[in-house]
Amino acid sequence: MRYMLIHAADPDLASKWDDEAQAAFSAWIEETIRTGVNLQGSRLRPTADATTVKIRDGELIITDGPFVETKEQVAGYDLLECASLDEAVRWAGRHPSSWVGAIEVRALPERAPAAPLPKPGEGKIQYLMLVCTDPAVDAREFDRIEPVDPWVADTDGQGIRLYGSELEPPSGARTVRVRDSSAIVTDGPFAETKEQIAGFDVLECADLDEAIEVARRHPMARLGVLEVRPFWPFEED
Amino acid sequence: MGTVAADAFRQEWGRITAALIHQTGDWDLAEECAQDAFAQALRRWPRDGVPNRPGAWLMTVARNGAIDRLRRSSTYRAKVEELAVMATRETGTDSREPDAADDDGVPDERLRLIFTCCHPALAMEARVALTLRTLTGLSTAEIARAFLVPEATMAKRLVRAKHKIANARIPYRVPPADALPERVPGVLAVLYLVFNEGYSASAGENLIRRDLCDQAVALAQVLAELLPGEPEPKGLLALMLYQRSRQAARVNDRGDLVTLEDQDRARWDQVQIGLARRHLEEALAARRPGQYQIQAAIAGCHAAAPTAQATDWPRIARLYQLLADMTGSPVIELNRAVAVAMADGPAAGLAILRRLEADDALAGYYLLPATRADFLRRLGRSDEAASAYEEAAALAGTGPERRFLNARLAEVRSQAQRGG
Repeated sequence: MRYMLIHAADPDLASKWDDEAQAAFSAWIEETIRTGVNLQGSRLRPTADATTVKIRDGELIITDGPFVETKEQVAGYDLLECASLDEAVRWAGRHPSSWVGAIEVRALPERAPAAPLPKPGEGKIQYLMLVCTDPAVDAREFDRIEPVDPWVADTDGQGIRLYGSELEPPSGARTVRVRDSSAIVTDGPFAETKEQIAGFDVLECADLDEAIEVARRHPMARLGVLEVRPFWPFEED
Repeated sequence: MGTVAADAFRQEWGRITAALIHQTGDWDLAEECAQDAFAQALRRWPRDGVPNRPGAWLMTVARNGAIDRLRRSSTYRAKVEELAVMATRETGTDSREPDAADDDGVPDERLRLIFTCCHPALAMEARVALTLRTLTGLSTAEIARAFLVPEATMAKRLVRAKHKIANARIPYRVPPADALPERVPGVLAVLYLVFNEGYSASAGENLIRRDLCDQAVALAQVLAELLPGEPEPKGLLALMLYQRSRQAARVNDRGDLVTLEDQDRARWDQVQIGLARRHLEEALAARRPGQYQIQAAIAGCHAAAPTAQATDWPRIARLYQLLADMTGSPVIELNRAVAVAMADGPAAGLAILRRLEADDALAGYYLLPATRADFLRRLGRSDEAASAYEEAAALAGTGPERRFLNARLAEVRSQAQRGG
């Protein structure tokens, strides 16, 4: 089974990211990659660099900022191959971002194939596009949602979409926070908001305008919101 | 001498930063080098005389400054070469002396800069700040004062905006032609917001705030020139000029607002009205109406009327109808009610207000009860007018608007007493 670890950082705890956390982080990355558990992942630029895209009444609405303002903010993700949810939760408890915030563990549907990410092409930039729900939209609207397959085929064909998947509903999520060396595991997503992450895509684009163009064509642009967040490779500071 | 440099600063700042950002991709470097070039001009022009083409001189000095700075950091070698090639091409010599640079062949990149600063992925307040900083050269401190926020807040806003442009990779370009209809309105909204900040500033407020009007007009002019095929920038420019033409008449000596009806029309600036009319005619010739063109046309109706009574209110009401259909905005509908009240009497205006009030979209907006109060006053229903003025005054905050409402309230109260 594949699981997405959504790292959510708490700005109040940022100072707790010390040398010990850094060392634990390096060890975690090394071990998960060596054992084949870690399929892909990236740090993300802060929410200040996020852009959300939606279409309402036929009009494109572009907004500065994340899909929902919460105290803990999505700061990165990892995609793991694990035998069970419990195993994924254990990995989350060992990742130091659970010390300075939370890690939400979400299962991917079985059909999602896994692929490691290539380095960005020359002059390209990678974005994580979070596909999110909008509580203001009537749930009945979803009966009429267009299939996403043409969008996937199109963006895959253009070499823009590198990976992506729906996520199992947030009701099946677990969230891990480590405080004073003990793990607190709760049911449900990290943010108790009505807006929730329903899926994600990794995009490789020339610039933000291209990413916005891709996002607006996603069927969820009319029924939810799409947050486009630049990758933040660890070699860049 | 100081004014020559000041004029050059106003005219050239945006072109210089736009070109340097285009060539180096470095916003801070561009600003610093533009700043240095103007500082040098202030030092050297009094001594050496003003160059024949001050703009070209400044551009060359700024670019040379950029080359110097980039040379010191070796990672930018490719950019240095690009800049050096441009410098040679323009001056025709390898000379680093700016006086050789009379032929200014630098393409105008301000359109790229405007579209980038006004990119929809930036927060509105960031778009405004960045536009003013990079295109007009207002300092961070000045922009902070104009928008009544601490300088540190404004500095942070600018840094954050530049970071987002770099990190999220907002492209430095003019959107392709098919994207213009979607992107131009956002740029115009930024310029109109800047204008209105300045326009609403009272005479007692700091000069820099009132200066925003002129900055916005100058930017609208640049946009209208650089996008000759688009009618809406010309429409906005016309609208701003019509509004600015009334600036001297809209506030009395005590700093109180004077309504359009009561303004001394002799104090309206006919030069600006003439300019506005010309820009509007050019815009309308494209036969692609837009909301700024229509608003300008409405302002034009007022400007053309010798007295408030002689205003073509039926035409204004029709224009507001057009605008309401286009925008669906309840504020526009409120304005239409005012025009209809003038054309067909206050009772007709009240009927539109009743529909607006049922709709609730303008709940808490002081101009809604204020307008109702005015209609009731004109119908002689003084008691009802008084309570509507009270309601409006309670919502109006402080400042001249509230003083105006309270004055009217006292007026209708005394009428009510005389009547009853």
